[in-house]
Amino acid sequence: MNYGHPLQFGVFLTPSAGDPERVVELAIRAEALGYDLVTVQDHPYQPAHLDAWTLMSWLAGRTTRIGIAANVLNLPLRDPTVLARAAASLDLLSGGRVTLGLGAGHFWDAIAANGGPRHSPGDAVAALDDAITVLRGLLDTSETSPLNFDGEFYRVDGAERGPVAAHDIPIWIGASKPRMLRLVGRRGDGWLPTVRSEDVSNLGARNQIIDSAAIETGRDPREIRRIANISGRFATETGGFLAGPPEAWVRELAPLVAEHGFGTFILMSDDAAVIETFANDVIPALRAETASEIVAAGARQMRRASVRQKRRDQIAYDELPMSLASEAIEPGDPRFANVRSTYMRGGNPGLVLRPGSTEEVVDAIAFARAHPDLPLSRRSGGHGISGRSTNDGGIVIDLSRMNAIQVLDEATRRVRIEPGARWMEVARVLEPHGWALTSGDYGGVGVGGLATAGGLGFLARKHGLTIDHLLAAEIVLADGSVLRTSPEEHAELFWAIRGAGSNFGIVTGFEFEVDAVGQVGWGQLSFAIDDLATFIERWGRVVEEAPRELTAQLIVGRPRPGRPLTAHSLVMVDSDQPEAIIAALEPLAQVAPLIDHRIVITSYANVMANADGGPHRGQGEPVAHSMLVDHFTPEFSRAAAKFIERGAAYWFQVRSAGGAVSDVDPDATAYSGRSANFSLVVMGASRRMLDPEWEELKPFASGMYLSFETDRSVERLHDAFSPEALARLRALKAAYDPENLFRDNFAIAPQPALR
Amino acid sequence: MDYGQDLLFGTFVTPTAQSPQQAVELAKVADRNGLDLVTFQDHPYQTSFLDAWTLISYAAAQTERVHLSANVLNMRLRQPAIVARSAASLDRLSNGRVELGIGAGGFAEAANSMGARPMTNGESVRALEESIAIIRDLWNTEKRGGVTLDGEFHSVRGAKRGPAPVHPIGIWIGALGPKMLDLVGRIGDGWLPSLPYLKGGTAALDEMNRQIDEGAERAGRKPSDVRRLLNIVGQFSSSNGGYLVGPPAQWAEELAETTLTHGVTGFILMADDAYTTESYANEVAPAVREIVAAARGAAI
Repeated sequence: MNYGHPLQFGVFLTPSAGDPERVVELAIRAEALGYDLVTVQDHPYQPAHLDAWTLMSWLAGRTTRIGIAANVLNLPLRDPTVLARAAASLDLLSGGRVTLGLGAGHFWDAIAANGGPRHSPGDAVAALDDAITVLRGLLDTSETSPLNFDGEFYRVDGAERGPVAAHDIPIWIGASKPRMLRLVGRRGDGWLPTVRSEDVSNLGARNQIIDSAAIETGRDPREIRRIANISGRFATETGGFLAGPPEAWVRELAPLVAEHGFGTFILMSDDAAVIETFANDVIPALRAETASEIVAAGARQMRRASVRQKRRDQIAYDELPMSLASEAIEPGDPRFANVRSTYMRGGNPGLVLRPGSTEEVVDAIAFARAHPDLPLSRRSGGHGISGRSTNDGGIVIDLSRMNAIQVLDEATRRVRIEPGARWMEVARVLEPHGWALTSGDYGGVGVGGLATAGGLGFLARKHGLTIDHLLAAEIVLADGSVLRTSPEEHAELFWAIRGAGSNFGIVTGFEFEVDAVGQVGWGQLSFAIDDLATFIERWGRVVEEAPRELTAQLIVGRPRPGRPLTAHSLVMVDSDQPEAIIAALEPLAQVAPLIDHRIVITSYANVMANADGGPHRGQGEPVAHSMLVDHFTPEFSRAAAKFIERGAAYWFQVRSAGGAVSDVDPDATAYSGRSANFSLVVMGASRRMLDPEWEELKPFASGMYLSFETDRSVERLHDAFSPEALARLRALKAAYDPENLFRDNFAIAPQPALR
Repeated sequence: MDYGQDLLFGTFVTPTAQSPQQAVELAKVADRNGLDLVTFQDHPYQTSFLDAWTLISYAAAQTERVHLSANVLNMRLRQPAIVARSAASLDRLSNGRVELGIGAGGFAEAANSMGARPMTNGESVRALEESIAIIRDLWNTEKRGGVTLDGEFHSVRGAKRGPAPVHPIGIWIGALGPKMLDLVGRIGDGWLPSLPYLKGGTAALDEMNRQIDEGAERAGRKPSDVRRLLNIVGQFSSSNGGYLVGPPAQWAEELAETTLTHGVTGFILMADDAYTTESYANEVAPAVREIVAAARGAAI
């Protein structure tokens, strides 16, 4: 029978210590020839060999795509606790390319001579069983409790699990005798025998033992990939099993696929010519010969039962298209810990899809459409406050793999950016061109969420909002159609994308005209506050009166008994001239007594390099409110001072807008808060504490920056959008997303325009 | 006193698992800027770190000239025969760019949680001595016959020798206590302490150097057979804020002084950013070499 595993091919190279360059060259050659795997034997007592793990790590550093596997590791001489850390580490360094092939040990004299145990055959199997428990336990970072295991051969006493590997590392087991075959059936992700001519007749019986053991353990035999180490020679005349022309090889290997379910063939050869002939003349023909059997059997790698156990009933995991299946992360995956939560929010989704192309986004949206009652979240950087880019039990479409940044035209500074890129990466790529694209102020924010909402950062007063630089956008709609939008193509939708884009689909490519920005002045000023209301008013006036090159931010500290109140202003001046920078900063520095300051000339990219880029581990739910304010009038400043002094918020932050932001016609984009000079965001521990105080400030609002608002009430839409804009958006929503599939970020109810 | 070896400059990079390529990138920065060494700590129970040996091997594959070492390898959780062959293998793959920073292993409880055999401090020193003996003997392919050591903690019986490294791998021992310092003197190629752990700063080096020297002499070796390295921390700033807090020129004078007075000839800076690494490589290291060369020249 066939188990439906898509075919893979690998090489098995001799790790000769005498000629280390040769094995490295053959591995690189195998990668170039399209092989899926390079595998290395492990005989740690054998001085003619290079150490297997060292060589695997070295090969990972010299290749970019090919999988790396041990074939097989000698567990009696490899401590499973350290091996688990090493495996996760190599998987991280290599970008998810590691497979662990394991063996129970064979040459006991040599093992014992090198300080290892001398096991009986039975003990060797039991020790490997124990070792797998330790390996799987330490690699299973979907569990948070430390690992305890008191086995006969290994003992782990409260060891932390991790690091979180880059993928669910498969464990393949080398086995030929019944006890080991049963272990494969119970525990393995793969069976890795060497298949010689004389073994072929036994394969059925051996598969039978594996499958029975799997079923007895509550597993599905399709969880277990069958991998054959094979060797042979190419000749014009057939001279036995795998000794003949490529067509004969295909004839002999095809039944191993069709009848015995082998999914992987690993060629044991150090001969570059044989490796090349196999790649060119056997692999494509064997694929063609066996395609129909594999498709008939499902053409997918079934996940382990322990992973399937953590699935949600409402999600049709097994119907995921192949394009998405290999990168999707479900609750039983070790990587789930890295993707379940966002920057500020804890989450527990049922499935995280990670499309890598526009076509895969279409597939992901189709899958979401088939689950209309489940929450659907979209995530670019996962920083969102208004956007629910995680959920409980639903689907997340995570765009982090779509992170390309590409210069389309040097002369017009036209750049295409995908939604999963983060702004620190964008800034870094544009810097060598002498360019920058105004963004938010935190480098860890993703492009997709921000560039469909507004984008108010440290270049705002000089260069406007991020959306003001958008020339065209490619969007995947709720029905799966892909549209290119621009002022000339689907102009009304293009209008909506710039400020309310999250309601209409997933933008898969943004085309921007970026700005010429060289070195910038960057100031950090800390003030001691005596009279808070006066300080706020003066700070606002100075910023409004400052040249447009200056954009500033203000963070007022939380009042603490017995401590003077302080405020911090972060200021960028888009100039590389020290005199101009100082001249622009001077009035601001005189707003209140300075207790600390730092002014440097640096790049926009260096300022944006303020995030660590690692996975988010947010917990709970943030409570944040936003408003746009035209001017810091004496009345507003008094109210704001009172708000701060009452201590209901732990975070009070002002970003300056105005300038170029206000040059744009309010009707030109769905973002309509063009009159404001300031954007205010506050965060509190609870709405109960924050809301009553916030109400006192509401009369001063001239709009809202929706990305900083967590309140999902329908009324908030009226704060963010003018009545005319909202009517346009409702009509568009009725046309493009009538079922309201995209409702995770400021959902606008569809309402057809009145005729 | 100055033991007269040439100077080595390197970095000590945090092997952060969360951004796995960061440590590799910093190794490449060190390589490009002509530093001699990149080193990574080894704490296999610490899940926020990458496995040291895997990282060293991977980073070695992506660099050209720089030498790499653990700083230091935790021998309570590593088998000596595997360490010997791994180091020799990487030395062969990398064309002689591996050094073996090695230690008896701290954080006893965390190591125990990984299943390590519980040991007293004294036992772990003796276990390290056995490990080093096994490693050295397995590397020695000049000798005939297998390696046999029937130790209190480690036993090998007739293990085959090899593979041999392609250059003499330095065994540098992380040591603080008297028994460990004595061990360094008797069998170490180098001593690798960390400045933040030295009570009294660089002045504490003299007494410890003396203990190493005594150990060496008792074992019939010369004190200059043991290179003195030092993990250092510092900060580049415009004004003098104490030892290694100040401009590069100040660092250079202080490090040269540490060489000439306290005998340190390997300075390994804890550096997790490219800017610090570059400044250290380009502005500090050459200046220290210059001052030390001039002083040594004058002394002759």
